[in-house]
Amino acid sequence: MFADYILLLFAPTPRRAKGIFNVLRGRRTVSTLFAGLTYGCLDQLDSWHGVPLETFLATTTKLVTAGDLTSPEAGYYQLTAQGMVHQRALKKERYQPVASVTFQTVAVRRFAALSQLALQVVSEAAHHENRYYPVTTDPGVQATVKAWFRRYRGPELAPTIFAALKAFLTTLPDELARIFVQSLTGYQFPGQTDAQLAAQFNREPVELLVIRRDLTCRWIVWLQHHPQDPLWALLAPLVKASPVSDSAQQTLQEFLRGGDLAAIAQRRKLKLSTVREHLLEVAILTPEFPFDQLLSPALITQLTTVFADQPDLTSWRFDQVQRVAPQLDFFYFRLFQIMRCQHD
Amino acid sequence: MTNDELYRLLRAKYGFTSFRPGQLEVISKLLNGQDVLAVLPTGTGKSLIYQLVGSVVSGLVVVVSPLISLMQDQVARLNYQGEKRVAALTSQLAFGVRQHLLNHLTSIKYLFVSPEMLSQPAVLTALTTVPLALFVVDEAHCISTWGPDFRPDYQSLGQLRTTLGQPRTLMLTATATQHVRHDIVTQLGVPGAQQVLYSVNRPNIYLAVATLSDEAAKRARLQQLVTGVRGPAIVYFSSKRQTDLTADWLREQTGLRVAAYHAGLSAEDRFKIQQQFMAGDLDVICATSAFGMGINKADIRMVIHYHLPTTLADYVQEIGRAGRDGEPSLAMILYVAGDENLVRNLNELTAASPNEIALDFDRFTHKREPASEVSQVLQYYWQHGADVATVSQLFEKRARAKERELQALMAYVTSSTCRRAVMLTYFDETAPQHDERCCQLDGAPLPLAALGLTRSATPTVTTDTDWVKALSRLFLLNS
Ligand SMILES: [Zn+2]
Repeated sequence: MFADYILLLFAPTPRRAKGIFNVLRGRRTVSTLFAGLTYGCLDQLDSWHGVPLETFLATTTKLVTAGDLTSPEAGYYQLTAQGMVHQRALKKERYQPVASVTFQTVAVRRFAALSQLALQVVSEAAHHENRYYPVTTDPGVQATVKAWFRRYRGPELAPTIFAALKAFLTTLPDELARIFVQSLTGYQFPGQTDAQLAAQFNREPVELLVIRRDLTCRWIVWLQHHPQDPLWALLAPLVKASPVSDSAQQTLQEFLRGGDLAAIAQRRKLKLSTVREHLLEVAILTPEFPFDQLLSPALITQLTTVFADQPDLTSWRFDQVQRVAPQLDFFYFRLFQIMRCQHD
Repeated sequence: MTNDELYRLLRAKYGFTSFRPGQLEVISKLLNGQDVLAVLPTGTGKSLIYQLVGSVVSGLVVVVSPLISLMQDQVARLNYQGEKRVAALTSQLAFGVRQHLLNHLTSIKYLFVSPEMLSQPAVLTALTTVPLALFVVDEAHCISTWGPDFRPDYQSLGQLRTTLGQPRTLMLTATATQHVRHDIVTQLGVPGAQQVLYSVNRPNIYLAVATLSDEAAKRARLQQLVTGVRGPAIVYFSSKRQTDLTADWLREQTGLRVAAYHAGLSAEDRFKIQQQFMAGDLDVICATSAFGMGINKADIRMVIHYHLPTTLADYVQEIGRAGRDGEPSLAMILYVAGDENLVRNLNELTAASPNEIALDFDRFTHKREPASEVSQVLQYYWQHGADVATVSQLFEKRARAKERELQALMAYVTSSTCRRAVMLTYFDETAPQHDERCCQLDGAPLPLAALGLTRSATPTVTTDTDWVKALSRLFLLNS
């Protein structure tokens, strides 16, 4: 059930449901990214893109009714004792994705659509079949795959793809390799649906959704290490160098050159608050961020003292800081929180 | 073009030596420059008509179609036949892709489009810049408020056709009473259109109804039918949930290859189920009525309605998926007293009282978004400047039409005389004489043996556990 995977996202301390939801659907605002970081689910950013908010909220309500979650205040949920036991069991029973972080830098869904059609086209061509129903009629996907196929077609294409897929699948457990192959569409083989594979492998249908998505991610990671593969040409345009947005990336470059934040804002014609948001985005998405260039040792000591008795940093509140340092901007408090989170 | 030339074209392009009933007549009339309303039963190859005309007449063939899934099926089928210059213009397309398509209409031969999309100024403008070979209105009965499948966005088609310069028009439908046919030609502004009418009767489909005492008896009868009667079979349900549940249950009970098919599945899963069914990898499909629109499988032997269809017209369409090869087939309704209330409840979903209509108009004037299905339908009227009184009248007329359709359906279900006669009378046709291959009369047994529909051995299912073998079968020629 979908609810199983939602339960895995909660903890014994309260978490904001909307924050988690925004992580799953891939919102990239600083507050969402921060929620993802502190809740330890940033690696799942964008990985449940299509789920509507109502479904998500209805699922949390269902988990409350089932006694796995409780809501200490409106919008927040935490695990009950039963929920903790249940969660521990689910971590063992349900498939746990290992490559979701790929979503941060790659248009995974697009690649899934392109590669599915590309493999079908190659398979049918390998058997000299040109009358078949394409697995998608999306003209954008068809056009991209058509151009790719025109460039790579030839007697060697199918054997090359076969060898490459075999090499990739050999790195996986047998169950996953079988699921990957049986879900493909090609010559005289429509492929199996998630429900059919779930029945065959004795798993929940939602697990198949998670498994197949993770298989796409794992395959993408493999292709990134094998750029000579013909399919890399379909993937390459969908890969970003960094999870950080282009604009934040530019702000970072200026900052690394030793700029003062106000000066950067002026040069880039941005508000100071935007420059700060950019740096927070970078700090959240890259653990090697140079925190010490913004947080002085004195400030770090001061903030450490304020929160000495609060190991759970989601319980930290800005007004605690304001009591001892009324002039300090929220930006430095949040940055300190991110640093702690990254380096704990 | 002479008939000889048309036959030559049919052979050269599609590899057929003969036309299906109605095809040649409709094509000839269109090529003579006439507008045509064609009432042809499902499975007569309606798409071949506009394909063939499109291959003779230069310019774009625009096909207006009510459902995205239907359009995608048709695009896939044309792709399959080797026609690449085909596209569906839907709201699902990304903006950039849509723009590209509109800017390159001359590289397209067949364009599928919904009425809603067609009414967008950018689309209309693009279409006025290219010559049109043919304007096709598929499922044309949707235009009639008298008919069962009325769609408000179909009402603007007459106006849109005028804007497009009144191109040669083909109106297609599988079933239409005289009243609905009159509505179609009037609303589209082609009162002089030639009407080509073929009987809805499918003599090779045996008609049966099982009246059962309760749900348990219904399930038992369903199991008995799928294990006792030759397949492949389609079982229709009115809800997604029931479709899933019954598919699982049937699979466990019978060991047959059963799959569920409905709009809740992903596009990928829908594609796979359709293709598995066509390839003979499935014995039974449990489906909502979404299934089968684009299916072209000739050897379906049985169509069971676990829930009542909405109307007789729908029923004729749905059972029309059986026996396209002309061999004997079975159409069965499983009926428990009170099932008709399910249809009423579904009808209620799109009904509204004058009071509700007035309230919704109030919502519209306060610029609030429509929140329900009914509200979305009403939104269409408000945007087109209709007033509360007119819309209330229309809704009342629709409610009466739906109740009338239900009564006609129930007359078929509960008939103690020849069911085929009841059905054909409804479509203003005369029925042939009843015989033992026609329909099941009250209390009579199913003549399965006489029809050659007794099920033989159940196929054994084998799945390949060796993924390397499966992978090499996909990509290596000699494996
Ligand atoms: Zn009869």
